[in-house]
Amino acid sequence: MTSSFHDEMLAILPRLRVQALSLTRNRAAADDLVQDAVCNALAAQHSFTPGTNFSAWMHRILRNRFISDLRKKRETSNIDDVPASAVAGSGAHEDRLVIKELAEAMDRLPADQREALVLVVMQGMSYDELAAATGCAVGTAKSRVFRARRQLAAWLYGEERDISAVALRGAVRRLRAGRDARPAVSA
Amino acid sequence: MALKDKCPPRQPGKKSTDRSDDAFELWLKRGLHQLFDDVTKEPVPEELLRLIEEDRKRTK
Repeated sequence: MTSSFHDEMLAILPRLRVQALSLTRNRAAADDLVQDAVCNALAAQHSFTPGTNFSAWMHRILRNRFISDLRKKRETSNIDDVPASAVAGSGAHEDRLVIKELAEAMDRLPADQREALVLVVMQGMSYDELAAATGCAVGTAKSRVFRARRQLAAWLYGEERDISAVALRGAVRRLRAGRDARPAVSA
Repeated sequence: MALKDKCPPRQPGKKSTDRSDDAFELWLKRGLHQLFDDVTKEPVPEELLRLIEEDRKRTK
């Protein structure tokens, strides 16, 4: 195998990490997924035809690995693993809350829509590339992105929610958590 | 500040225009970058790099 296979593998790692995070929503699980996908790809490198679409081949391996892992253990992670700096870094308080809202909304999307949105909107993949990378028809790829975008728009500003409502929800959650953690007081 | 004020404007009851869709697309792209850019900038784990480099040597 030529060295370009490994060079291409190294070059695509950042994009694979984004895809993995969009699927797993968890940093540690995403790192594991990338590593497993790389192992699978290295083991199957002779099945890759040089000159064909390496990116699609690699994204598809990662996705298949994710699905296979999911089937084995069923999905247990439902938390966001929003990068801390994304919601706690620089920027106005309102901006951070809006980004947190976006992260929560992303979390509520089905994994295939979340992945499609990130690969197309953020990473600039075409629908054809997305279809090749996820092993689906171009129409399905378009539909996933369309539905994800429409759903996010509805959640994020289709409702008359505002920042005070976001803060209120957080306060209620904290109160509930505190109440549940408190030992019962006998009369 | 209301959340909707941070998002591009849309007029309720009116059909979306290309312009508002473009504005939402831009806003969404920026938001996704804020959420995911960190992971692309982090150094790749050493173990992963070693795995690839070892395979490169082995298959030479």
